[in-house]
Amino acid sequence: MSSKASVTVLGSPEEVRQRWQEDGLRPEYIESRDAAVSFKAAPGDRGTEIQVDLEQTAPGGKLGEMLMKLTGKEPLAKVKDDLRRFKAQFEAGEIPRSDGVPEGELAERKLKQRPAQPLKEDELEKAGV
Amino acid sequence: MRATVWSGRNEVSVETVPDPTILNDRDAIVKISSTAICGSDLHLYDGYVPTMKRGDILGHEFMGEVVEKGKGVGNLEVGDRVVVPFPIACGNCWSCKQGLYSVCENSNPNSGMAEKMFGHSTCGIFGYSHLTGGYAGGQAEYARVPFADVGPIKVEEDLTDEQVLFLSDIFPTGWFGADLCDIEGGETIAVFGAGPVGQFAIASAILMGAERVIAIDQYDYRLQMARNKAGATDVIDFSKDADIVEQLKELTGGRGPDAVIDAVGMEAAHGHGAVHAMDRVKQASRSETDRGHALRDAILACRPGGIVSVIGVYGGLMDKFPTGAFMNKGLQLRAGQAHVQKYLKPLYEHIRNGDIDPSFVVTHRLDLDQASNAYETFKHKQDECVKVVLKP
Repeated sequence: MSSKASVTVLGSPEEVRQRWQEDGLRPEYIESRDAAVSFKAAPGDRGTEIQVDLEQTAPGGKLGEMLMKLTGKEPLAKVKDDLRRFKAQFEAGEIPRSDGVPEGELAERKLKQRPAQPLKEDELEKAGV
Repeated sequence: MRATVWSGRNEVSVETVPDPTILNDRDAIVKISSTAICGSDLHLYDGYVPTMKRGDILGHEFMGEVVEKGKGVGNLEVGDRVVVPFPIACGNCWSCKQGLYSVCENSNPNSGMAEKMFGHSTCGIFGYSHLTGGYAGGQAEYARVPFADVGPIKVEEDLTDEQVLFLSDIFPTGWFGADLCDIEGGETIAVFGAGPVGQFAIASAILMGAERVIAIDQYDYRLQMARNKAGATDVIDFSKDADIVEQLKELTGGRGPDAVIDAVGMEAAHGHGAVHAMDRVKQASRSETDRGHALRDAILACRPGGIVSVIGVYGGLMDKFPTGAFMNKGLQLRAGQAHVQKYLKPLYEHIRNGDIDPSFVVTHRLDLDQASNAYETFKHKQDECVKVVLKP
């Protein structure tokens, strides 16, 4: 199983590196895992390639890995969530939310989508809106 | 509010659901004045698109009045009359900056799901499964519109809803299909499918300067609309003769059309005995998602060195792709969900100038509460149905 995840963000490596540390944008999960992160200029002014390497296997062996995948708690899936959220905030200024996924991209939601219809008031509070 | 929800295969109902609210700064809420059922909604209705969930609000063609907006929406005011494009796009990512709005890199909050299916994520789409984000659709009284500073176009009051509503999808989609054909003047273009998108592909090809446009369908009333309203110069009714490839060759002195537009997609109705039967069995057992006769015939009919433009919706995999014909004839295959945002202004100008009146496709006007009947009528092509407009 790969331990790496990448995303390209439309900005210079200096700017991306700086905003990576900004409050509200800082990728909490990646930081908490103390993962190796690299920032590299993409060819043709396409922005910056961010690569995260977890460099460790999932605890609990194969079975643990499968359980985590099913529940959306697999470390790499959470790293990818962090990367997508960072990219969206950096580029679009907000994390896209839908009715099905009101929190924004979230691995735990993959198998637990809400129906695509507006949220009730108590759900809005829970989703942090 | 009242909204049209998907309740399972071949089942939609109009139910009372919570009103939408602003979730992000770049959102607006639109009070819907007109909304339409798209041919691609039938793929959802028929149950061929995965990741639908009971309770999903359908609909990606809608317009209305801005009634609320987030603080990030500077270009619209409450009270503005707008048409909303079906792709949700941020306008900031590299793809959006290239004008490739339907592959926006940020607007799909289920991008992880989409990557598994398609290798990469595509944009979010209103009311079109969870694979494209799980966004509530617009066959309802109200809709929340994300990135409202990028998508919606303001429209003037002297044009009717039916003249501008189809800027949301089918007019730009048909235009996009013709745009992919590199029309410079004098070409012969064949269009598979004379449904609403096919009608606009025909009309667009003519506006761009194609000399002959051949419409292909199995319903005479649709072919008549293609000839009399959209401007097709020739028609092929495959209910009378199923060998479309041969007929296209006959109509073009053996050359084949310069470009062929597939405005059919995954539920093609024609096809030849054994292959069609196999496609139906495989699709019913979900071992193949896409019935591909239209695309196969498009590739076989297109002249060597020509272009095959795919705007009909496909969802997964098809069998028996004619790789030999595709490769040896040196064809170009081009495709996509239309980058609607890119075409809104020029197409609005075409409507304003009177070059085209898109309302010609409308055959049925119903109350939103009639949505369930409307889906059945449209699906079974009853009552010479081409396009249904619903009024909330």
